[in-house]
Amino acid sequence: MAACTVYSTQTLRTNISIPTSSSKTHVGFHQKQVVFYTKSNNKRINSNNRYLITCKASDSQTIVIGLAADSGCGKSTFMRRLTSVFGGAAEPPKGGNPDSNTLISDTTTVICLDDYHSLDRTGRKEKGVTALDPRANDFDLMYEQVKAIKDGISVQKPIYNHVTGLLDPPELIKPPKILVIEGLHPMYDSRVRDLLDFSIYLDISNEVKFAWKIQRDMAERGHSLESIKASIEARKPDFEAYIDPQKQYADAVIEVLPTQLIPDDNEGKILRVRLIQKEGVKYFSPVYLFDEGSTISWIPCGRKLTCSYPGIKFFYGPESYKGNEVSVVEMDGQFDRLDELIYVESHLSNLSSKFYGEVTQQMLKHADFPGSNNGTGLFQTIVGLKIRDLFEQIVASRAETPVGATKA
Amino acid sequence: MALEPEQLSNKVEESIKSAQETCDDDPVSGECVAAWDEVEELSAAASHARDRKKESDPLEDYGKDNPETDVCRTYDN
Repeated sequence: MAACTVYSTQTLRTNISIPTSSSKTHVGFHQKQVVFYTKSNNKRINSNNRYLITCKASDSQTIVIGLAADSGCGKSTFMRRLTSVFGGAAEPPKGGNPDSNTLISDTTTVICLDDYHSLDRTGRKEKGVTALDPRANDFDLMYEQVKAIKDGISVQKPIYNHVTGLLDPPELIKPPKILVIEGLHPMYDSRVRDLLDFSIYLDISNEVKFAWKIQRDMAERGHSLESIKASIEARKPDFEAYIDPQKQYADAVIEVLPTQLIPDDNEGKILRVRLIQKEGVKYFSPVYLFDEGSTISWIPCGRKLTCSYPGIKFFYGPESYKGNEVSVVEMDGQFDRLDELIYVESHLSNLSSKFYGEVTQQMLKHADFPGSNNGTGLFQTIVGLKIRDLFEQIVASRAETPVGATKA
Repeated sequence: MALEPEQLSNKVEESIKSAQETCDDDPVSGECVAAWDEVEELSAAASHARDRKKESDPLEDYGKDNPETDVCRTYDN
């Protein structure tokens, strides 16, 4: 959206009218056309009138972040950490549908891609498709609306009600500074992919997923180990066919695996987490240990730092991942104490933090969130800082190149 | 209105039974897979509802929407 200022050298003799016509083409897709014309009562055409129209991009510089995750939408820990880095708490829109999946803070709006389901729960049951199947999702609408928001136009976005399984009446989404689209398919459609300024894939390994789902569902009355297992197994084919391949497109993948520090551990409490960072992404400088491009294994526990069992182990090195050059930072183990965290932070480079200890501070702020004592919390927080850095760089670069002026 | 965790739990239980029945008929059908997907969706919703219940304090919630009422007023000095 551009705001145009009209200057005229003669201010008194001409009437300048600016009619606007607004036409809706789709649910929530608006086009605005502005026509400039002058009307003069003089019969002689006054050739001394000169008009200079300059246009510059307005403050709508929405950047779009894609987050692929199986864990459901908006309320997940990752989102809360991300929005916390940008400042403010993200909350559901006030006064709207209480089952809305959207979260809004001062700078950020998080949209759940389940809202673009083309089939509701009954529809999916009838057709025999899962929510993971592209046939259950309206990618055309997703593309149109994300593009509109990125261009600074508000949209009426549908709401998928996770409780009733129905599609509810739409809610208004105004363009924010940072738009996060979270869900199963942010990188599935190539048009949507091209709109993303940065993309993240949260890759939970099968063993860890199983352990987490047991923790989550064993308390549920109807569930048993068998039903939890059956549910995971039934969804696996669709997951591997449609969701997993998005990994190759992500700028950052956070991979969560069982620990290697405890042989035969199957409790899934200690985690090995890998931050896989794509090289060559604009505005994104990967985090590293010791020196970029080198390979290093590091155990911070020793004389300066005493850790409890099983300790902490770091790794950093260049790798090839899904055909891309990447740099991987890996953490296996758990933080027990504040000084472990700050010690580790002081040895990581390219964090894009604004002050010494910012990562530690963010982790402590949300000490009650799951993953606050291991690599998941650490890397999610770091990715949050990276996105903030990306945002600031994009804003700075756009300020330097306004759209050029045209003479009438 | 968001359902209470209790009602969601009922839904989860029903969906599991339904999935088991559907899959008994035909274990490789789309209907069977879709049924388990529904179980996953409802389990996630039930878990979120439980978390929300744990976090929420009825007075805080009321105060957020009605800060001017006597019970919710805050005084800074």
